[in-house]
Amino acid sequence: FRFKDSLAEDLRRADLVISHAGAGSCLETLEKGKPLVVVINEKLMNNHQLELAKQLHRDGHVLCCNCSTLVETLQLMDLSALKPFPPGQPEKFALFLDKVVGFQ
Amino acid sequence: TGGHTTEILRLLSCLSESYSPIHYIFADSDKMSEAKIRAFEQKRAETFSNSKFTLDRIPRSREVRQSWTSSVVTTLYSMLYSLPLTYKLKPDLILCNGPGTCVPVCISALLLGLLGIKRAIIVYVESICRVETLSLSGKILYYFSDYFIVQWPDLKEKYPKSVYLGRIV
Repeated sequence: FRFKDSLAEDLRRADLVISHAGAGSCLETLEKGKPLVVVINEKLMNNHQLELAKQLHRDGHVLCCNCSTLVETLQLMDLSALKPFPPGQPEKFALFLDKVVGFQ
Repeated sequence: TGGHTTEILRLLSCLSESYSPIHYIFADSDKMSEAKIRAFEQKRAETFSNSKFTLDRIPRSREVRQSWTSSVVTTLYSMLYSLPLTYKLKPDLILCNGPGTCVPVCISALLLGLLGIKRAIIVYVESICRVETLSLSGKILYYFSDYFIVQWPDLKEKYPKSVYLGRIV
C-alpha cells in the first residue's frame, strides 16, 4: 500500500520491522516493542533524521544497514541482542513546568 | 505538523487541569493535526470536565529546506497573522517544540512583552529527533526562550543554558 492513516494494526501483527530512518517510524516501532532494522539511504546523508537512527543504533535498540547490506544483515542478525526501548517520561516535563509556572 | 504535533500532545499528556484554556496554533497547510488535537482534547475532557481549548491557524512560515532570505519574508508574512492572534490570546505561557510556526508566534509574544502589553513565559522543547544538532527554530529560540529543553545529553553539553530532563515524549 502507498499510504495509510495509521500503521498501528500492521505493527501489532509484525514480528520484524524493516524501515527507513524516519524518526516517527523508528519510535513508533520501538514503542510497540518490535525488533527494528533501519535501512539508511546514503543519498540523504545530510538529513538530520539520521541523528536519531544512529543514536538508537549506538544504544543497541535497532540494527542498521544500507540498501546493499540489507540481505546480509537479515541473514546474520541476532535480534535477541537488541535492547528494549523504555518509554519517554512526560511526567518529568509536567513536574518541571509546574515549577516554572508556579503551580506546586 | 505531523511529528511535532504528536510530540507536543505527549508533552501535554501529564499536565494538570490548571493548564487551561489551551490555545493550539498550527500551520494552515497542516491537514492532520486538527484531528489529533481534537482526539487528545476529547480524552482530556474525560478526566478534566472543565478543560477548554481553541484552535487557530496561521500561514506556514517556512517549508523544509527553504532558503534563509525567503524564510525571513514568509516568516514576516506569518507574523501578520501571529501578532494579532497573540495579542488577542495574551498567553501566560507559550510551549513550542520546533515547527516553523512557533517562530512567528514567539517573536510576536516577545514584541508584546517589550511593549509592556503581556509578558509570556516561553518554553521550548527540542524534538526527540534532535540528538546532536538543533533545528533552525531551536537555534533561534535558544536565545529568546525562557527555558530551552533538550532530550539528549550531547545537546546539553553543546548548549549549556539548556535544560536536560531525559526523554520526555
